[in-house]
Amino acid sequence: MKTKRITTISMLTAISVVIAIIESYFTFLNGIVPGLKLGLANIIIVFALYNYDFKTSLLISVMRVIIVSLVRTGFGLNFFFSLGGAIFSIVAMSLVKKTKLSIVGVSVVGSVFHGIGQVLVGSIILNNHYVIYYLPYLLLLSIPTGVLIGIIAKRILSYDILKLMNNEKK
Amino acid sequence: MNKSDVKIVVIIILLAGFSYIIFNLVKENGNTAFVYYEDKIILTIDLNINKEYVVQGLLGDVVIEVKDKNIRVKEESSPKHLCSLQGYTDSSSKPIICLPNKIVIKVGGGDDIDGVVY
Repeated sequence: MKTKRITTISMLTAISVVIAIIESYFTFLNGIVPGLKLGLANIIIVFALYNYDFKTSLLISVMRVIIVSLVRTGFGLNFFFSLGGAIFSIVAMSLVKKTKLSIVGVSVVGSVFHGIGQVLVGSIILNNHYVIYYLPYLLLLSIPTGVLIGIIAKRILSYDILKLMNNEKK
Repeated sequence: MNKSDVKIVVIIILLAGFSYIIFNLVKENGNTAFVYYEDKIILTIDLNINKEYVVQGLLGDVVIEVKDKNIRVKEESSPKHLCSLQGYTDSSSKPIICLPNKIVIKVGGGDDIDGVVY
């Protein structure tokens, strides 16, 4: 069982790293919020949160940030930025998961807190609160991205991957 | 999407609108721009004069251009050049932030109380 867990976590991490790297070449709306991305790698995080637990998804997310920094952006300020956003988003999602919200709502909350986490880390790093002016745009733009990620994660979960894996073994 | 999902989306939209209105109420379209490195003002720029300025960021020189009361970052060295892609700004509610260079450019009025820390 332990081997299976390690394999699953590493496979999911690999998928989210690949998505994040491909995605980092496409930024849009640079004039409003610099470096805005869809955050498609979070599909894996939402999936892991629902299929496994908080610890697994946190592990995948932190490893993703470290690996993506290693191969693409480096361990500069971007690293702390991404790490802050990722941790904030997962903690928020695991907290609201227990409420009546569906997976789409949880994903929207995660997306919003990803933005809030980044703004907070940005304010701390720059020691200056002007980053907060991005907040209204970030809040608004995280709704469509959150909904999109929630819907995709829901589709993936509906295939019942755990069952597929168990069948393969026989 | 169920009912509580819709509720949370509405709450977020309201929060975004509310913060947007507040930021626009306090914004100033001054004739001065302040360039910060971390939390220190390193350069004060008069927006009435079209000119280019060079400041030292964390990763190298940052070239700032003033044109027709607008200010932008013309050139800088950073992994993705996001702050030069951001283009011109003329209001305090749209600061230019170069995170890799730790440079922030903010337009403000005469006295910038926010910049003073005792």
